[in-house]
Amino acid sequence: MTAGSEADASAPRQLRPGLWQTVNERYPGSMITKHDLVPLAPLRKPLSECRVTFISTSGVQPKGTTPFDTVHPVGDYSFRRVPSSARVDELEIHQLKYPTAGAERDLNVIFPIDRLRELVAEGVIGGLTDDFYTFIGYNMDPERLERTLAEDIAAAVSAEGADIALAAPA
Amino acid sequence: MSLQYLKEAAAAGDREKLIRYVRLHFGDGNEEAGRAEIDKAWIAALEPLLDVPPTDRAFILETLATKDVATLAHLFFHLHFHFVQRSGDWIHDGRL
Repeated sequence: MTAGSEADASAPRQLRPGLWQTVNERYPGSMITKHDLVPLAPLRKPLSECRVTFISTSGVQPKGTTPFDTVHPVGDYSFRRVPSSARVDELEIHQLKYPTAGAERDLNVIFPIDRLRELVAEGVIGGLTDDFYTFIGYNMDPERLERTLAEDIAAAVSAEGADIALAAPA
Repeated sequence: MSLQYLKEAAAAGDREKLIRYVRLHFGDGNEEAGRAEIDKAWIAALEPLLDVPPTDRAFILETLATKDVATLAHLFFHLHFHFVQRSGDWIHDGRL
């Protein structure tokens, strides 16, 4: 699917035209094909009135919850809810596939929970959902990822009444 | 490499593609590092047995007899990383 034509600016536009071609070029054998249209979602009210959620592949999770499965050869398709009110010292990272040294010193570099609360306090954004959402990005089955993980997180985000989902890969 | 790629390799009996994937997984994308990690795990598993200490073989045999093959295979991957970590030579960026 390609981006909407210039003649019809109001038509839905693909968020990242050519994304899957890029993925397949960089990761030979990934065999990913995706033709669905993922339209841009226009903001419907001022940012200062919006409830924001945060979705991260960082592997950040509350201490005491079952660690993400970092050893499984095909990946982990579960997600964790991280209370947006959590203190940084209540959280930990379970992830093997990216350098975490910086995040271990200051979790906000990968999971900006304090910064988002500051934006609420400053009135820049209207508020935060009760929970943020995390998983690990090492998943070898994109269909399963979409069918389970992505759909489950999307349902949870919708149920929490989020106006904006800030998604950040690790 | 996708799951589809690996399943096709398994169906075709393409062992080189499969073991290459395992090495890449253990080596965080570096095949040679992964090969060394496999060696490291086996050495770390060998060393505790050199003095022939008593082991809970009943547990081992019961586990092998009663758990399904997927759980055992998953355990195998856990044991790899466990012994690599136990070796003290940890090349990975994050934590288990």
